Amino acid sequence: MYKLTRLVTLADPANLWALADEIHTLATAHCAYRQLVAPTLAGSHFGGDLLAHFAFDDAVQRSDFDAALAPLFATPAVASVDGVAYQSGLGGWSDPGLANGVYRVLLLSVDEGTDPAIVARFEAETRMMPHYIPAIRNWQLSRADEAIGARRWTHVWEQEYADAGGLMGPYMMHPYHWARIDRWFDPECPDRIVDARLCHSFCAMEASVL
Amino acid sequence: MTTDDTVAASIVHAIDEIVANPGEGKALLEDYLARHGPGARARGMVLEQVLVSPPMWLDDQSNTLVFRWSLAGAGAWWQMRFVGGNDPDVAAWWADVDARAVSRRRFFASEPTDIERLCDV
Repeated sequence: MYKLTRLVTLADPANLWALADEIHTLATAHCAYRQLVAPTLAGSHFGGDLLAHFAFDDAVQRSDFDAALAPLFATPAVASVDGVAYQSGLGGWSDPGLANGVYRVLLLSVDEGTDPAIVARFEAETRMMPHYIPAIRNWQLSRADEAIGARRWTHVWEQEYADAGGLMGPYMMHPYHWARIDRWFDPECPDRIVDARLCHSFCAMEASVL
Repeated sequence: MTTDDTVAASIVHAIDEIVANPGEGKALLEDYLARHGPGARARGMVLEQVLVSPPMWLDDQSNTLVFRWSLAGAGAWWQMRFVGGNDPDVAAWWADVDARAVSRRRFFASEPTDIERLCDV
């Protein structure tokens, strides 16, 4: 699956729903296999006002849609956009029929020049989070093919939860997160490989998009 | 999920293990306490123990320094992490340490009896 995610920060949040409608219509016209266009929820950090996520059957469809989407963001109404284009990485689904849940995406940037073996270890440990934290119902960890925004985003870490409590509670508070995984992110830890600037964004979803 | 009080009662330990450059163990320990200690305390950390190995100051080899801090649960850990992780002075301090050390580890731990409560989230 070829995916595209855009985290859109608006100059005036009053324009959010109008832009969301435009994006939704455009994605439908471009035969997006899946799409999620929704306002981000409180607690997002550098996650934009609007989360827009799409999946296509092939790279050409995605590229065409991206080109058509770009003018919508090149207006004074849009303050900034962070985003990635990527192919689906490894994932897992303990609740593929999850409805009325929460979708969360983390865009992160691994330092250039990091030993590939270290990156692979970081990825492998991250993929084990759902094993230890069952509140993560569905998930996918992917490498970015293209990135825009504040950083050269290298990875896309997506999860789905039954509700925001699963993200704010078990995901954040489980020791596998803060005492194990976070060392890759923590500037105080010598194992750190991930830039401190992250995009942490989440929104309500009607049905699973992973 | 257990109550916040129960989680807060589970002490988390943050442990810095630093292998100093040969002959620099004593100076590095003193700098750690003077330059890093006050800020760490302000971030909610309590210094519980300082160990030096071997228990003598080596002038031609490395001393290993161990600092064990405690935090009042996962919530306090995240508070420490958010403040320290966004402070350029903290990053500069660790860069200085890394220049004066052969190796360094920071890891987080609890007593075995606290594991169940810490994982009950």
